[in-house]
Amino acid sequence: MKPFSYQRPGSLAQTFDLLSEYGSSARILAGGTDLIVGLRQQTVDASVLVDIKGIGEFLPGVALVDGHFVIGATTDISRICEYEKFRATFPALVEAMETVGSVQIRNRATLVGNVCNASPAADTVPPLAIYGAMVNVGGRDGTRLVPVQEFIQGPRQTALRPGEFVLSIQLPVPNAPLGVGFARLTRRRGVDLATVNLSCSIDSVGTVRFAFGAVGPRLVLGVDRSGVLADSGAPAGDRDAALANLIAGTSPRTDIRGTRDYRSAMLLVLGRRILAEAASRLGSGQP
Amino acid sequence: MTASQIGSSTRRFGGYERVTGSQEFVADLRLDGMLFVKLVSIDCARARIVSVDTSAARGLAGVVAVVTSDDLPQPVPRFGPVYKDRPILAVGETKYHGEPVAAVVAESKDVAEVAASLVAIQFEELPAVFTVASALDPLSPLVQEPGLRSAGTLANTNVLSEQVFGWGDLAATEADLVIENDYCFPMVTHFAIEPHGCMVVSSSGGFEVWSPVQHPYLLQAILADLFDLPLTRVRVVAPDPGGAFGGKQNPKFEPLLCFLARMTKRPVRLILTLEESFQATRRTSAEIHIRSGFSRDGLLCFQDIESNFLLGAYADIAGRVVSKSNYLGCGPYCTPVARIRARALLSHTTPSCAFRGFGTPQVAWALESQMDAAARHLGIDGLQIRLMNLAAKGDDVVPGDVPADGEWAQSVRKAASAVGWGEPLAPNHGRGIAVGIKSGATTGLSYSTIRLLFDGSVTIYAGTSDMGQGARTIFAQIVSDELGVPIDQIDVVMGDTSVVPFDLQTSASRSTVFMGNAILDACRDIQLQVRELAAELHGTALENVRIEAGGVFISDMKVSIPEVVQASLGRLRGELIGNGTMRRTDIANHPLGGSPAFFEFNCTAFEVSVDVETGEVSVIKHVSVGDTGKSLNPLQVEMQDEGAAIMGLGHTMMEHIILDESGRIANHGALDYRIPTSKDLPLSLSTYSIENADGPGPYGSKGVSEGAILCTAPAFASAVTEATGVVIRDLPLTPERVWRAMRDGASDSSKVE
Repeated sequence: MKPFSYQRPGSLAQTFDLLSEYGSSARILAGGTDLIVGLRQQTVDASVLVDIKGIGEFLPGVALVDGHFVIGATTDISRICEYEKFRATFPALVEAMETVGSVQIRNRATLVGNVCNASPAADTVPPLAIYGAMVNVGGRDGTRLVPVQEFIQGPRQTALRPGEFVLSIQLPVPNAPLGVGFARLTRRRGVDLATVNLSCSIDSVGTVRFAFGAVGPRLVLGVDRSGVLADSGAPAGDRDAALANLIAGTSPRTDIRGTRDYRSAMLLVLGRRILAEAASRLGSGQP
Repeated sequence: MTASQIGSSTRRFGGYERVTGSQEFVADLRLDGMLFVKLVSIDCARARIVSVDTSAARGLAGVVAVVTSDDLPQPVPRFGPVYKDRPILAVGETKYHGEPVAAVVAESKDVAEVAASLVAIQFEELPAVFTVASALDPLSPLVQEPGLRSAGTLANTNVLSEQVFGWGDLAATEADLVIENDYCFPMVTHFAIEPHGCMVVSSSGGFEVWSPVQHPYLLQAILADLFDLPLTRVRVVAPDPGGAFGGKQNPKFEPLLCFLARMTKRPVRLILTLEESFQATRRTSAEIHIRSGFSRDGLLCFQDIESNFLLGAYADIAGRVVSKSNYLGCGPYCTPVARIRARALLSHTTPSCAFRGFGTPQVAWALESQMDAAARHLGIDGLQIRLMNLAAKGDDVVPGDVPADGEWAQSVRKAASAVGWGEPLAPNHGRGIAVGIKSGATTGLSYSTIRLLFDGSVTIYAGTSDMGQGARTIFAQIVSDELGVPIDQIDVVMGDTSVVPFDLQTSASRSTVFMGNAILDACRDIQLQVRELAAELHGTALENVRIEAGGVFISDMKVSIPEVVQASLGRLRGELIGNGTMRRTDIANHPLGGSPAFFEFNCTAFEVSVDVETGEVSVIKHVSVGDTGKSLNPLQVEMQDEGAAIMGLGHTMMEHIILDESGRIANHGALDYRIPTSKDLPLSLSTYSIENADGPGPYGSKGVSEGAILCTAPAFASAVTEATGVVIRDLPLTPERVWRAMRDGASDSSKVE
């Protein structure tokens, strides 16, 4: 590992000062589960690590504010998964979060970090997008909210501007019945990176939304308002055609984790399965 | 007197330390004033080294030396367990991805790493050999210069060795069914959890070397030869390896570290990363073409096998992997006629070496899959075709060599009943069964010394490496029973060539049989001394004194061994020293240099279910049955079987090293090279032992450490075939590969005559 210096600011103002002082050579450290690996493997360059765990303004854990769950930048994934109300409100996101790394990793890794890492295969991103998550970006001049699917602009690329970092993620509590599903395909059942991952929602008027991960440089979203996908009684061929129409927006690649045609085929297979899951959750009144 | 330890699950020696993390592995040890070494390699497999600029690295504070092959004695020394083909550092060109071109020595690990990244190497990529086809192509570049090879017609090829085994007249043999297929077994890495590494101190004319090496005495001999030193000037300390699986048998970077210690006059240390371990050693991959002849009722008529094993750039011990596994290429069957042509091929890839199973999983993948192909074509059950061809005890498996040494059908029947063979199956479920045999060690030499101390406690000296198999425990159990010593009053000293007598090696599931017999022999030596002392003490003849169950019987009187020792040695105290030997020497003109000391036989059976939409396979039941002769410690046998079985699932379901077009490892590291985790285990994994006390080891035991990995793949694949109807002949059976086979309707494509 190359040498770097370490700063632990106590406030947001100090953090912004450090970011403006060191510019792009500074990296934010929260859980460090991606950052430290990158430093060790010399895929990430940083001369300064700014540890944000000492920032006084950050609320620990998860807060429910004005109909939104707010997850701070230092809240680890295990902690989020402990909140019963959160689990009941976002079951598909919790499923996705519980596939991130291992228990030990999730005890350190933050949800915000998983988003900021901007991996096309990040498992939390499809359900975050489906649930309408907004990324709360802070800068010296104030904050701005960016939808998660716009925040991640490509592999390792985010909408962060110089001097900014992410303060929290906001998740709106659904104000109408919603059923959401999540699935991923991996090469083994133990800790693994997704070959594909996807999430979908069905609402009470029959609108179906899909988010596909690991099948393009950034998240691929699709909407079906025809009602066919929401109608479990519709002919299977029609439903597959509608799903295939959404999948057509993806651009999977062949790499060592899987080939293009396998990924495409699995989007259809898993898409059918999570539609059924989402419909079942909608029917049971669980989001 | 103590309760018998043999046959009981005596608690593991060193187990507490391993599970609490207090055991010190080589990487945990620190030497005063030590320097840290980092290897420098290039991002290419075969390349001409145009220039190496070390100035920036040398200029970094804390860097003590940056060494290339120019700084070594010329010509650069080469070493190896069989062929002296591996240079200390790459000379002129690199032969595989990761071969070190330079080594940085620095005051800290971090400085060494940064300095390594500052070594600027100009190179020119050269045409290279990465596949069996390319290695066999006479137009391909030579991996090794002919001058390095032993003289002969092969020196100008990439064929390291070629052997033909067989019996009977193949041309004159007819069969009702002839099945012909090609099978592939991938490159696999050992993935020991303990990283490879070593430390060296150069002192008055010699070296002290710390290495988690399986064969400390071989390392000692190679270093003594390389530096022209007497054996006494090379001390190898071998702390218990944290898993080795064959990958830590032979020297890799110990010779380099010796040079660096000598140059810097400081202790030096090199601990490889997991990624560097991928580049240090691997399992030998194979492509096997096999023609099998059967009568219409399923009896074997012949096997005609052509095995091409792909070795790396240096031979290590891999030539032996090829010959030993292919010698038993026809498996545990009565095969009337056979021809096995086995080639060991050099390539510009990671040097391959021994790996648990020593080539047998590769051969068994092809052979056992053929048995299933024949069974399908003949409409015979997979269990039946095996039982009808299996060698009975005393039958030849290789005519003229030692015959079958176990009641192997008992293992097969046990596995079949445990997996529920023949019971109704749910949709998309299937079962498979397969068998395998591996030759135990053919030759060997193990010495043991046992000191029976004045109070009756015992120190055992054994040169075995306890790398997780539990050798210490087994040795202590033997001594406990033979000398009547409580198990907690026994120490087992291993891993120091300056203290412990010679042992040839820890490999081939040999230690229970070879070192175990040496220890038994040393116990007999002590027992004789005790009888002599007792006879003298009681004024009786030697034949009136006998030792049974660790107690001394003088006519009808019974006393303990310590009572005899203490009464005899008296005020000056002292101890008894016993020595034991197990020696198995070469057999002239034997193709392997010697007959198998025993066969390691295993039968594995599976029930799987397949997700026919994704290709994911779930293991419902995994059964492994070994012919152990006598399980000296049943729990340790179970642990060995479970470990080997799960390791077998790795190369069966997910493990394979993927090379890119430049011969670089594309899935280099834990992120994209997948091994089974606890979540990938079978829903049920059961192991059983068949014990007929028919082995050559103590109390009728045989070696057991490799059995459960031998035929995992064919049994699993057979179950997948029953579940899906598709036949796959390339490992591993990844979800995508199973899905693709189903999509393409890859039913049995055997070439059939």
